[in-house]
Amino acid sequence: MSADLHDPFQDEEELGKAYDSRLLGRLWPYVRPYAGQVTVTLLLVFPLTAFELAPGWIIAAGLDRVFSGASAGDAVFLGSWLDAPQGFPPLLWLALLYMGAVVGLAAMQFLNLYVMAWTGQHAMRDLRRDVFDHMQSLHLGFFDTYPVGRLVTRATNDVENLNEMFASGLVTLITDVIKMAIIAAVLFVIHPKLALYTFLVIPPLVLCAVVFRLKVREAFRATRILIARINTMIQETITGMKVVQLFTREKRNFDAFDAMNADHRNAWQRSIRWEAALFAVVEIVQNLTFAIILGVGAGVASVGTMYRFFDYLRRFFMPLRDLSAKYSVMQSSMASAERIFQLLDTEPAVLDQVDEPAPGDPARKGEVEFDGVWFAYRDEDWILQDVSFRVAPGEKVALVGHTGAGKTSIIKLLTRLYEPQRGAIRVDGVDLRDLPQHEARRRVAMVLQDVFLFSGSVGENIGLGRDDLSAADLEVAARSVEAHRFIERLPAQYATELRERGTNLSAGQRQLLSFARAVAHGAHILVLDEATSSIDTETEAAIQRGIHALMEGKTAIAIAHRLSTIQDVDRIYVLHKGQIVEQGRHQELLEARGVYHRLYQLQYRQQEARAAASGEMEKRPEAGSR
Amino acid sequence: MSSAADIAAAREGRGDVRAAIARLSIYVRRNARYYGIWSVITLAYVACFVALPKMIGSAIDAIEREPSEAVVERALWIAAVSLLFGVLRYFSRELVFNAGREVEYEIRNDLFVHLQRLPQSFFFGWRTGDIMSRCVNDLNSVRLMLGPGLLSIVQTPVMLVGVLVAMALIDWQLMLLVLAPYFLFIFIARAFGRAMFRTNIAVQEGLADLSNQLQETISGISVVKAYAMERVSASRFAEANHELFRRHMRLVKVNGAMPAITGLLPALGMGMVLLVGGSKIMDGALTKGQFLTFAVYIWNLTFPTFIMGWVFSLVQRGGAAMQRIDEVLATEPSIADRHDRVEVEALRGEIEFRNLRFVYPGAEREPALRDVDLHVPAGSSLGVVGPVGSGKSTLASVIPRLYEVEDGRVLIDGIDVNRIPLEILRASIAMVPQDSFLFSMSLAENVAFGLPEPDPTRIAQAVERAQLAKDLSELPHGLATMVGERGVMLSGGQRQRAALARALALEPSILILDDTLSSVDAATEEAIQRELDEVFAGRTVVVISHRISSVRHCDRIVVMEDGAITEQGTHKELLLHGGFYARLARQQALEEELEGAVA
Repeated sequence: MSADLHDPFQDEEELGKAYDSRLLGRLWPYVRPYAGQVTVTLLLVFPLTAFELAPGWIIAAGLDRVFSGASAGDAVFLGSWLDAPQGFPPLLWLALLYMGAVVGLAAMQFLNLYVMAWTGQHAMRDLRRDVFDHMQSLHLGFFDTYPVGRLVTRATNDVENLNEMFASGLVTLITDVIKMAIIAAVLFVIHPKLALYTFLVIPPLVLCAVVFRLKVREAFRATRILIARINTMIQETITGMKVVQLFTREKRNFDAFDAMNADHRNAWQRSIRWEAALFAVVEIVQNLTFAIILGVGAGVASVGTMYRFFDYLRRFFMPLRDLSAKYSVMQSSMASAERIFQLLDTEPAVLDQVDEPAPGDPARKGEVEFDGVWFAYRDEDWILQDVSFRVAPGEKVALVGHTGAGKTSIIKLLTRLYEPQRGAIRVDGVDLRDLPQHEARRRVAMVLQDVFLFSGSVGENIGLGRDDLSAADLEVAARSVEAHRFIERLPAQYATELRERGTNLSAGQRQLLSFARAVAHGAHILVLDEATSSIDTETEAAIQRGIHALMEGKTAIAIAHRLSTIQDVDRIYVLHKGQIVEQGRHQELLEARGVYHRLYQLQYRQQEARAAASGEMEKRPEAGSR
Repeated sequence: MSSAADIAAAREGRGDVRAAIARLSIYVRRNARYYGIWSVITLAYVACFVALPKMIGSAIDAIEREPSEAVVERALWIAAVSLLFGVLRYFSRELVFNAGREVEYEIRNDLFVHLQRLPQSFFFGWRTGDIMSRCVNDLNSVRLMLGPGLLSIVQTPVMLVGVLVAMALIDWQLMLLVLAPYFLFIFIARAFGRAMFRTNIAVQEGLADLSNQLQETISGISVVKAYAMERVSASRFAEANHELFRRHMRLVKVNGAMPAITGLLPALGMGMVLLVGGSKIMDGALTKGQFLTFAVYIWNLTFPTFIMGWVFSLVQRGGAAMQRIDEVLATEPSIADRHDRVEVEALRGEIEFRNLRFVYPGAEREPALRDVDLHVPAGSSLGVVGPVGSGKSTLASVIPRLYEVEDGRVLIDGIDVNRIPLEILRASIAMVPQDSFLFSMSLAENVAFGLPEPDPTRIAQAVERAQLAKDLSELPHGLATMVGERGVMLSGGQRQRAALARALALEPSILILDDTLSSVDAATEEAIQRELDEVFAGRTVVVISHRISSVRHCDRIVVMEDGAITEQGTHKELLLHGGFYARLARQQALEEELEGAVA
């Protein structure tokens, strides 16, 4: 719990270490299934390097032998395949070899990148799946504290960032080093003296690169932190603009903003300077090696050898240039990995303690019992205090109470979305904790006040993914609650696509759809959270008939907001400040002139007021219940 | 949703390229000194770029003729030019990138200043995300256009011309052979750029789909759990996940082919040089050194030419981004001091509405206020009640000129509100808006938000008066507690009282409370009420509320329905009148009674 609580204030832009063995260790399981491909990528570096070296070699052969008219014979190493076959013009042969080598190189490069990306994409797909699965397994309370946007970022942007590491990070780094080592070795074989002299420039170059890189990193880190602050300030100023203007804060706000903005620019300019210096140094050193090759090689090395030195050194220096980019890629990847694993480490608070549901007593099928239940969303802030009641199979009861009395919490406990701190809840005579979550939710169907519809067809929204329900089953369910009539009038009936959150259906239609859901799923215990939104009279009547059809032969617990609809239930429980204060039938409770009586009067007034006023009175948000 | 999209589409339509270019050129001109030096350096840089391979080539030829001391001298010259080349390279990058950052800095500052001057109606029509994307993404696109974009778009053509001339001077036939694949190259690079853009968009869309699905599952998580849908939604997610994977792989193919092609095409030119140049060497028409010069030219041109495709898209995107930024900057702040302003020192606090009608911007809106006539004497208190959407908040917002009203409709101290200097107006009015927005700074800084200098005694006093003092001990660092984004570290009631304290600290002549105390419990509200009565005796107070208890003590109470005043009088008078107010009072009395009922 504490892990996700402090997260909202964590700086999203924070950079991680470029290399973190603990995080890499945790990533390993995602790569392991593709270890073969990773090995291929690493092994590909050898043919790749061979193809990189071949063109220079071929041209050198041309310079030293073919161009001078002599037919190549005594190659320095690796056989005589440079010799043209009998009767073939040597120059054309060389050109063909050259083109072949170049095409081979291109193919190798593509293959290398492709296999690497393939691996990365597979690993990322698996990681995204795990993040999603884990999110779904977390208890509801988690989603109250962790903003939706941030969760989405974990599975999307953060995973994408991590992918960068596969595409151009770690593996490339390793292959680059191997490639550079091979090139260096080859140069020493070709001409040890020349190689020795040219590589004299490497130590100062490496020194410069390391120092400059550190400077760039420092500046870069500063820019990341500053830009995050700048954008936060813009965002905050826009959202709080009314306050800014009302309190004439514009000038001072701007001064603070300007200071940050200038710091940001300066940090970038610092980073640009060091980066440009690094580029310049690599460039200078590369050109200096040309001078060295010419100065030292004159008279001792052939033109072809010198050409090979030029070409190979150029390839040697190439990876050095974008080393800097790779470093920052690694940094942000590690930061993303950290955030992803932090989410994956959040333990689900509601856990299944059993795999198989306890059998339970068939005679008590449909029975619901609350036994001394205490519940709080947070600490000791009790929403329910010692609530006990029993509903016999087939009974219909109603829970009433003023806003915040704890009605909605009872539903959430009953469906095991939360767990009580003390006491027990029994369904069909079995303690809910002895039922796996999905089993508990199959037995108890919830018809929520806030009908949430998913994008998908009407049929899919009734079936909610139950493959065993046929189209006919769905229709039967819809007919039984009178939802069929409006569905029939939709453009594509059951196949009609619902827009985001079902905005193309009225509130009443959505209610009916949610009844159909409950019927289709065939639970024998129903929990109804009655709609509070106003519905036109005709739909209202349909809903009333729907509810009756729905409750037929089932145990039903209704959370009533309008007392007029529950006058014929078997029993009414009156909740007040988390406790059951009265119970009985409608008439009995009215006569007792207690809390129920007052609630009834209040509602009567409200209806009267609503009828009289042209606008509707705002309903206060339900403070205690969520 | 759709109306916002319409607005966006309309804006897209009237985006003016010329206006955007004109605005951008202001910033570029301001940094002319950078760009001036940079262009001189670019020329020198290209000269070195052309000279070096030639020097290497002729050194080779010298070696071929007779390996002697002269070669060492040539090598030293090459080293010297290399050094110069490096220094020039440093400055050419540094100057143009720094200039880009300078322009970015200036535009960002101008955007910020401008946003702060825009009226509430602007923020009403634009989503925060839209504005943010202009301040972040678009600004970045403009910066990329001015940095790496400008660098290669100016430098590469000059390089190409220089190299081609140098090549032609050596052997024009060979030059044409090299040139041929380069044309093809530019073409292919461009096509690649497009393919990359398309596949990139496809990936972005795939990501968006995935995000939407995630968002939907999370928003509907209680249904997902209640109906044990986890497995189904996981498989739906897996589908979207796999689709994203497929799109990614398509992008990988394009991206992977890029370096392969980069190498291939110039190599084609090199192959030509090998074949044709080789036979020329055999004929004695070309030297080995010249051959080598060609080779080095080809290597060095590969990268700059290849990125031209990318650079074109940078410039295109940068241009479109500048247009979007221009849309914000071109919006005139409609609420500003006017030339006919009346210089006043301070306001006493008399408020008058004359036949006020107000319609929020946007097509076919019902007026939010209609024919409001009301006079609030200085030092008196006014209570406003009414259903949601009846125009109460709008009425409050036009007093400090958060929205633009016609001349002569709202007057303070008898002066048209449009003619009072904004600073005086807003310094004299303290409003506590409905949403009690706090900034992510310390509590003390929030309370002192409107004060020119943070004044500890005034802060302490305001905190005391807003009944926030008793909460300080519960907060981790008292007044120094950082309240977090929008004040999430505080409870709803604490937030509201902090917003109240912020207003009280100003000691204004007019205090407006817009349904400020809805999350504050009755006892605390009463205490605040008492404080206000004492402190604000002699000042004007406007209280907007849903609660009778908040307005009952006001000198006058008005009931608003559908933007018009339907009842007015004192608490007693309105109760006797038996209208909306009386019904509301009865209902709330019952609710209170219920609250009081003991189990």
